[in-house]
Amino acid sequence: MFRTTFKNLRARKRRLLTTALAVTIGVAFMAGTLVIADTISRTFDDLFADATEGIDAAVRGSQSIDVDFGPEARNPVPETLVAQIAELDGAAAVEGQVSGYAQFLDKDDEPVGNPGTGAPTLGFNWNEVPELNPFELTDGGPPSGAGEVVIDRGTARDGGFAVGDTIAVLTQAGRGDFTVTGIVTFGGQDRPAGATTALFETTTAQDLVGEPGTFQEIAVVAGEGVSEEDLVTQIQAIAPAGVEVLTGEQYTEDSQNQVQEGLSFFNTFLLVFAGIALFVGSFIIYNTFNILVAQRTGELGLLRALGASRRQVFGSVILEATIVGVIAGVIGLVLGIGLASLLKLAMAGLGIELPGGAPVVTVRTAITALATGMVITVLAALVPARRAGAVPPLVALRQRSVEDRALPRRRTIAGGVVTAIGLASLGYGLWGEPGNAIQFVGLGALVTFIGVALLAPVLASPFVKGVGGLIAKLRGTPAALAEKNALRNPRRTSATASALMIGVGLVGFITIFAASTKASIDKTIDDAFTGDLVVASGTFGFGGLPPEVADEIAALPEIDLVSGMRFGPARVDGEDTGVVAVNTDQMARLADIGISEGSADDFGVSSFGIHEDVAEEKGWELGTPVTIEFVDTGAQTFTVDVIYSENALAGPWFIDTAAFEANYAQQFDAQIYASLTEGASLAKARESVEEIVDPYPAAEVQDQEEYTEATAGQIDQLLGLVYLLLVFAVIIAVIGISNTLALSIYERTHELGLLRAVGMTRQQMRSSIRWESVMIALFGTILGLTVGLVFGWAVVSALADEGFSVFQAPVSQLVVIALLAALAGVIASLRPARRAAKLDMLEAIMTE
Amino acid sequence: MSTSIDVSTVTSEGHDGARQLAAARTHRAVKVYGSAETAVRALDGIDVVFDRAMFTAIMGPSGSGKSTLMHCLAGLDDLTSGEVWLGETQLGRLSEKQLTRTRREKLGFVFQAFNLVPSLTALENITLPLDLASRRPDKTWLDHVIETVGLGQRLAHRPCELSGGQQQRVAVARALASRPEVIFADEPTGNLDTSSGAEVLDLLRLAVREYGRTVVMVTHDPVAASYSERVVFLADGKIVDDMAGPTPERVIDRMKSVGEV
Repeated sequence: MFRTTFKNLRARKRRLLTTALAVTIGVAFMAGTLVIADTISRTFDDLFADATEGIDAAVRGSQSIDVDFGPEARNPVPETLVAQIAELDGAAAVEGQVSGYAQFLDKDDEPVGNPGTGAPTLGFNWNEVPELNPFELTDGGPPSGAGEVVIDRGTARDGGFAVGDTIAVLTQAGRGDFTVTGIVTFGGQDRPAGATTALFETTTAQDLVGEPGTFQEIAVVAGEGVSEEDLVTQIQAIAPAGVEVLTGEQYTEDSQNQVQEGLSFFNTFLLVFAGIALFVGSFIIYNTFNILVAQRTGELGLLRALGASRRQVFGSVILEATIVGVIAGVIGLVLGIGLASLLKLAMAGLGIELPGGAPVVTVRTAITALATGMVITVLAALVPARRAGAVPPLVALRQRSVEDRALPRRRTIAGGVVTAIGLASLGYGLWGEPGNAIQFVGLGALVTFIGVALLAPVLASPFVKGVGGLIAKLRGTPAALAEKNALRNPRRTSATASALMIGVGLVGFITIFAASTKASIDKTIDDAFTGDLVVASGTFGFGGLPPEVADEIAALPEIDLVSGMRFGPARVDGEDTGVVAVNTDQMARLADIGISEGSADDFGVSSFGIHEDVAEEKGWELGTPVTIEFVDTGAQTFTVDVIYSENALAGPWFIDTAAFEANYAQQFDAQIYASLTEGASLAKARESVEEIVDPYPAAEVQDQEEYTEATAGQIDQLLGLVYLLLVFAVIIAVIGISNTLALSIYERTHELGLLRAVGMTRQQMRSSIRWESVMIALFGTILGLTVGLVFGWAVVSALADEGFSVFQAPVSQLVVIALLAALAGVIASLRPARRAAKLDMLEAIMTE
Repeated sequence: MSTSIDVSTVTSEGHDGARQLAAARTHRAVKVYGSAETAVRALDGIDVVFDRAMFTAIMGPSGSGKSTLMHCLAGLDDLTSGEVWLGETQLGRLSEKQLTRTRREKLGFVFQAFNLVPSLTALENITLPLDLASRRPDKTWLDHVIETVGLGQRLAHRPCELSGGQQQRVAVARALASRPEVIFADEPTGNLDTSSGAEVLDLLRLAVREYGRTVVMVTHDPVAASYSERVVFLADGKIVDDMAGPTPERVIDRMKSVGEV
């Protein structure tokens, strides 16, 4: 029995490969993600292990707030602790650590590195103790005075800086010029993970990137014969409150874990797309096996007649699927390793230089890739295999027909039920506000896709008759034949189209969602922001503009109101999150945030403003005390003094700048909002503001329109990435169409030969296959766009409370998607059409 | 869409006497399959003329080359050497595209099985060659053909809803609809019972007698061959006999001797 399976496989090597390809891409995607994640984390682990190797104990603030992005925030430790630790018996060497924001400017005054892509621009103090200094000097020497800096080799190379040159650095103290005294690498890397590094002498570093009198951490080297644990115990004995002590080992592990956490979002994001690719691939596998089984009906019937049991026939199809799956898994794994390198290159192109050499392929990755390829393929082949097992022996004796039977009604009902369940889960996730909304939405979308795929055959006939009929009228007999062929087996047509539906559905959804988001941002900013100018720091939350900039702008005669906007990590009512701080009295007049209760006039240092949704959810009202914890000052009590209804600018809650200054060591404005004095010229005011901002090249002065555009423009960046990843799903679907057509053509060899004999030209043949493909592709696209439209509408209206005030379906973009899908259909038909046209007519007529 | 083939450039060489009457002919037709030691000469220098408005049958044992001869005459296959003429057109000189057009404009086909496109109705199958050529069917003629083959009631049916005999009659109707110069029939009754077969053969004879078409039919059935006016016997790629006015008995006798050759 199994011998026939292998014979079948061998006889159709090419089909086997194209079938496997459908799963291969998804597997490759997944394997690539795992490989790159392992590579990054292994490299960072090694880097941190190296960098922290000399540390036997680490002292740091015990207060921490873990926000979603960036490193966790901690309270600093007092400088005086360093001297105290130095006196301990067990400590051989001790040194304080300072780290913070420092942005290099190149010789054209442009920012070095790519803070916009998230690569940090870091400033540290130079550690004198060799064991505690992870940097290797490749040129020059350490910084020794206030005007000196050591720079990373990447910056030296890109900016053309050498020892002795002057380099400008932006810090919280503003812009300063420094003499380069040395050039360093970190773990052999010029610029690990794309981060730029500025190293100052310790006191200077405290002024520029830290806080005078404090350190972020204190690193200690143990004396001869002192264990890490003993050292920690000794330090703990003298440590003040608000400080924790870790062994070197714990500290290394902790640093590594933080990197892993940071990576996990990135991994999940990529794995979601791998999942989509695999989901689409499973449709193709399902379809291919169905066709293969249908084509082999006679042969299977013969096997049954000769005594093969149902189980044996079922088993042989499953075995075939397993082999296809294993092949897909192996190829996918190999491709995935290549993909990981490509991804790394692409990220390097974006300025995120990933450290490390060879890709790390773990056993886990290999097993996951193989298992996924196999499981997906076998699962997708289950139904076709059952169908194969159910072939009655009698079929072998009867003449088989490629015509499909009428669609069973229960399938339509099942499709309706499944779609309803999917939409219900989607709706529950969106409106029911369960804790794990994302899971419900994702699962709902998945189930909806399956439901629509089940319903698709019912829709295929009217669609093909409508659209296909129209094309046939315009394009003559080949198109009419194409229409008939697409209609011949509506199940096959719709299974093929369904694969495309998923990709197009997601593309359509994202397009609609993005357009709605942009339109909503436009509207809310137009409605809410009543000022005239915005200065965007351009540093994306890391660092920003020192407070003096806002003060200088406020002093301009053309400017009336000014408010900076600062962000900081905080624990609000026990939840690790962040707060926004504004100059409340000015901001209340710069923006219409819709204050519904309370007043911004006497908003003080312990006042708290909250959005009405927060008020409702938490049951807070005016006068409710709320505890907010800060890493620098610990728990503080605030009072709800303002409740507002528009969150476009303020977010869910805000405090006053005075409160921010009282509770945070570092002060940066991420944005500055300003309005003009009555009668002042916008152009002139802008000119003056630009002059003030001039030393901060990353910062940009925007009028209201530019501000709106820039805010909405951030969405386009993300959109590009999402589209790129969804392209994989579409490519798989195109392979599926091509595969199905190739199989159908094989099935119709005879008929095609006849057509050629009675006078169909090769060109007409190609055109006919092409139209069939286009009809399938268009059907999938229309289904997809419909589903995408429903998803888009559902998500946007569910988020109406979050500021999604506008639902927008961008017609022109959706039309472009439809046209691209038609083009995809043409591309999918190329190979099958060529094969059909080249068909040996005589052989075709004489077959059977 | 339809392109006329410039026959003036394709001149006949010799055989002037036959030229007026010949619907199709071959001149030293050779067809070799395979190469070197495995080569098979399916056609071994055949010279044959098929007269206009005549019903000719080609007979011979399996492997005699009768199907190959027909395929070459119909432009479905090409010769290794020699010439095939259709009227005044030498097929060997036509491009693939011209050959296709020649087939749909000047030739009609009735195969043994799988004659019809399953997704098209009977009527659509009949007009298929005309549709492919974007030619408008002559309504009167079409109605007449349909009436002749007796399919009036079943035109909207698809092939799978028709009996074997009905399917072959649709195929004959298709071959007649475009008024081709030559109708090639390859074992047209091979899959039919006797009475359905007789109907199809009557129709082919009618095409010759009433409508002046030329019919060339490959068959191994002596009864089928007896419907023709002339039988050409093939063996080992050569013509071994040419019989006028065949009857089943004479054909059977002759076949016995051919088989012995």
